[in-house]
Amino acid sequence: MSTQIRLRNCAKTFADGTRALAPFDLTIEGGETIVLLGPSGCGKTTILRMIAGLEFPDAGGVISFDGDDVTRQSIEKRRVGMVFQSYALFPNMTVAENVAYGLKVHGVPSAERDARVDAMLEMMHIDMLADRRIDQLSGGQRQRVALARAIAVQPRVLLLDEPLTALDAKLRVRLRTEINALLRKLGITAVYVTHDQEEAMALGDRIVVMQKGEIAQIGTPREIYRKPQNPFVADFVGAANRMTGQMRDGRLHIGAHVFDAVDAFDPRHGAILDQGAVELYFRADGLSPCDLDEAHFTGRVEAVSYLGERLRLTVSGIGSQAVTIDTHADDVIEAGADVHCRVNADRLTVFPAVTAQS
Amino acid sequence: MSSVEHIKEGRSRPSFPWAFPSSLFGRATPGAGSPAILALLMLPGLIIVAAFFILPMALVAMRVADGPDGLATYFVILTNDRYLASLIQTLVMSGGVTVTALVLCGICGLFLVRNRFAGRNVITALLTLPLSFPGTVVGFMVIMLAGRQGVIGSISDALWGEKIVFAYEITGLFVGYLYFSIPRVILAVMASAEKLDPQLEEAARSLGAPTWRVVKDVILPGLMPGLVSSGAICFATAMGAFGTAFTLATDIDVLPMVIYTEFTRNANIAVAAALSIALGAMTWAVLAAVRVFVGNGATSGTGGGA
Repeated sequence: MSTQIRLRNCAKTFADGTRALAPFDLTIEGGETIVLLGPSGCGKTTILRMIAGLEFPDAGGVISFDGDDVTRQSIEKRRVGMVFQSYALFPNMTVAENVAYGLKVHGVPSAERDARVDAMLEMMHIDMLADRRIDQLSGGQRQRVALARAIAVQPRVLLLDEPLTALDAKLRVRLRTEINALLRKLGITAVYVTHDQEEAMALGDRIVVMQKGEIAQIGTPREIYRKPQNPFVADFVGAANRMTGQMRDGRLHIGAHVFDAVDAFDPRHGAILDQGAVELYFRADGLSPCDLDEAHFTGRVEAVSYLGERLRLTVSGIGSQAVTIDTHADDVIEAGADVHCRVNADRLTVFPAVTAQS
Repeated sequence: MSSVEHIKEGRSRPSFPWAFPSSLFGRATPGAGSPAILALLMLPGLIIVAAFFILPMALVAMRVADGPDGLATYFVILTNDRYLASLIQTLVMSGGVTVTALVLCGICGLFLVRNRFAGRNVITALLTLPLSFPGTVVGFMVIMLAGRQGVIGSISDALWGEKIVFAYEITGLFVGYLYFSIPRVILAVMASAEKLDPQLEEAARSLGAPTWRVVKDVILPGLMPGLVSSGAICFATAMGAFGTAFTLATDIDVLPMVIYTEFTRNANIAVAAALSIALGAMTWAVLAAVRVFVGNGATSGTGGGA
């Protein structure tokens, strides 16, 4: 029932010669939610617009929906539902008229149209807003209307372009949960563009991390989070701490300390990384404060921020740049104090050092 | 809009050093003195309106009442065939100029906003140039184009041995007013078109709307405020424009010309005064009717934007 989307050898070069996307392949299974994640300008929106039919791939690229070649088909023929960051609701129509628009365009008889609009509004919990004008709605209500309008025509794929970015943090989380439930309920193929890692984790069956027009990694949220394949992905999904080390005979040396059982796989060469200089990426749980006798390093606390369930320390003197370390929220630590830390080797992601590469 | 943003950003007054403090307009600090200051600031405007509008209007109205037929003079425009024909001709021509200008400028304005190309600024400048021309100059240009020695006449003479001349009649006036109206309408359309959210069109297309539907349901409602306001100015200007008509010929029967003739040649002051008031009232009535018919749609069309 749900549509499978395949992009083959798709690249995008704009008229002025700038390359927005390097050639890539991507298959989105029927009913799957794919999140395109990356910083602004990484090409994620261009992929979405290519699937929509608002941009066309360079010669040689092929886009197919369930095996039908739609590469040269324009958006109005593709039956795609779109949800925009700016909502893009028609200001000259009421909520109900907005939701009914696609059905009207498709010539659905008015009795059936009304019934379907009512069902959509009810499903999005906005039935009481049916006769409102758009400028009378809050941001969250507008995005619900936009979702109802997009799915009312039963599209083959739902395309969401940063739909929650314009909303405040609390509403964002709530609407995210609603969208997630909606996508599962409809079983519709969905492509969701965001720059927010947390949103991507919460919604995606798989996440496509993009960097400068190239796919940096495709994987489940767990894979992306735990096994980033390159420093960019590691950094982007939150492993912002860095240290350097050496691999010798499969063991990791950091300074004078030696660690066993480190998962050091070099994805670029498809081989175990057991020799050479390495860079270590880790989150705030890669190091933990401990007593002096079991410590590997001692650093100096530069700043302390209270995050509620934990205390986040910015520590200098370990590695070349400051690192962040989490500790219990109840600990009393002041800036300026010394802190002893232990390395949690299983929390480190090991990459060959850039300088050691060819 | 911008003042609201200033407040949101925590800046209570504009950053221009020459701007009035915002408290003067009673928005930021509604002090006790501000309404009085506001009234004081309105005074020059009120005096000008009184001196140049209310007073002359009253005098003109009195002239009508003092005339030989008294207040019945007002109906002369409806009972006298010549005046009635002139009124209808003026209305039809002004309406025609307005509609034509809106269609032409709607297309040109949208194109100029949507496309970036070499020479775009030159074309925009050329299209808005007539803003600086007086009606007399426009009339002269129409004669150069379609007069007895005009370009069109020379070309048609060379091709078919027949001179096409239409400068000295209502067609010439139509062309002149149209040219005169293009800059006003095109600037308004371009301002409205800049504000159109391209994603609205993309949303409509994603829902399956073909181009004509996107134009009808998204682009036109978005342009409507600009079209209505500039169309109104265009219509009012065409109803009253005199310079162009006078340059082209003295016997073109548009209402301003009739008023001029009655007043200067026939010294028929009461009738001229009645026609003047009728011309003003008629223009006002048409504009009010347009505002009632289209205005509602236009205001809801701008709802989110302005």
